[in-house]
Amino acid sequence: MWEFLRRNGTLATSGALLVLSLALVSTNARYQRLDDPASRVLLEGMRPLQLAVAETARLGLAVWRQYIALVGLQRENDALRKRLLELEQEIVRLAEVEQTNRRLSELLEFRSAFRGRAVAAQVIAKDPLPWFRSFVIDKGEADGVRKGMAVLSPYGVVGQIQQASRHSARVLLITGHNRGVDAVVPRSRARGIVEGAVGDGCVMKYLKPGEDVQVGDRVVTSGFDGIFPKGVVIGHVTGLSRRSRALLQVAQVEPAAPFDRLEEVLVVESGNRREP
Amino acid sequence: MRAATGLALVALAALLLQTAVLSLLPAGLFVPDLMLVVCVYLGLHAHSPAGALAAFAIGYAEDAFSGTVLGLNAFAMSLVFLLVYLTSRQLWVDNTLSKVVLVFTAYLLKTLAMVLLIGLFLSLEGLWRTIARYVWWEAALAAILSPPLFALLSRIRPLAEAD
Repeated sequence: MWEFLRRNGTLATSGALLVLSLALVSTNARYQRLDDPASRVLLEGMRPLQLAVAETARLGLAVWRQYIALVGLQRENDALRKRLLELEQEIVRLAEVEQTNRRLSELLEFRSAFRGRAVAAQVIAKDPLPWFRSFVIDKGEADGVRKGMAVLSPYGVVGQIQQASRHSARVLLITGHNRGVDAVVPRSRARGIVEGAVGDGCVMKYLKPGEDVQVGDRVVTSGFDGIFPKGVVIGHVTGLSRRSRALLQVAQVEPAAPFDRLEEVLVVESGNRREP
Repeated sequence: MRAATGLALVALAALLLQTAVLSLLPAGLFVPDLMLVVCVYLGLHAHSPAGALAAFAIGYAEDAFSGTVLGLNAFAMSLVFLLVYLTSRQLWVDNTLSKVVLVFTAYLLKTLAMVLLIGLFLSLEGLWRTIARYVWWEAALAAILSPPLFALLSRIRPLAEAD
């Protein structure tokens, strides 16, 4: 017997412990769990350890949750910053759209003042060399744009089509040395020819010596050249050259159209007349 | 002696983890039975009456902190120890996968033993349904966590050999 137990000690102990456990279960089930001292000792002995570990774990979890929350906040912050940037870009884009809309509306209104053919075009390129004073538009022969056609803007006369290809055309500004524009000062009906001058402005030539022209006078197209419609603003007089012995006088004219900022223009058929 | 102390410390840490830490985690519904892993380790490597006593003590400690009838976990752990002990005498259980499977099976056995005892002595209606819902997840969790715990416990073996 002892030999068996010595050789199978583990089995025997396990068996004994199983029986003991069953007895414990049976007894405790019958008496609604005994208040056993061993459990009390275990509970009491483990309490400080459990308390410390649980507090540490809670603290660790709180720190972790705080960290996670901070990470979340950081992410949210990044997302909001990104959104803000997008919205700022959107605002810029919308402002640009609004400006374009306003310009196009002005151009449309301006275009409605003309009878006959008129083509709205967008400026797509500027002259690489400043002294030629021209730009390229996105409309060409396919759109009805021909060489010599007048180019206007809601602000005033721009220039003339110098060359047209199938889908684009080059516009020579009135500040360039191109054909002159037959012009008139509406206040006094003084007539002359506006041409490009050295610098950025224009000059109004061939004014008779007795003509009443003053600084600040508005200069508009007369329509007699058969190119530019009648009554379109060219600019205003900024100075006069009166030479006592000269037969004619010359007026310096500041163009009304802001050539540097033009984005849309109207190409008008030669001989087109403006509505009164 | 050092091995026994080391084992006791690991068991204590497992008990603390199970009762005070893991229940706080978001997945606290499924608390892994680390004490069972220690018990399986004992069944595999502590082939002595002391091993059987340690398994019983672990179960008893679990009983002390659970709301079940005293002796329920002690019985289940003793049974697990015995079955693992017998299995390890018949089968070569040494690689990680076989140990993971063993822990998974041991958990199911432990649960089955407890359900049988509850049915026998307490007859709690509907408890088995609740247990059936969670037992697979908890068994899987214990099995998944067993390799690192076994690795930790294996550090105690040289101490036992030295003792």
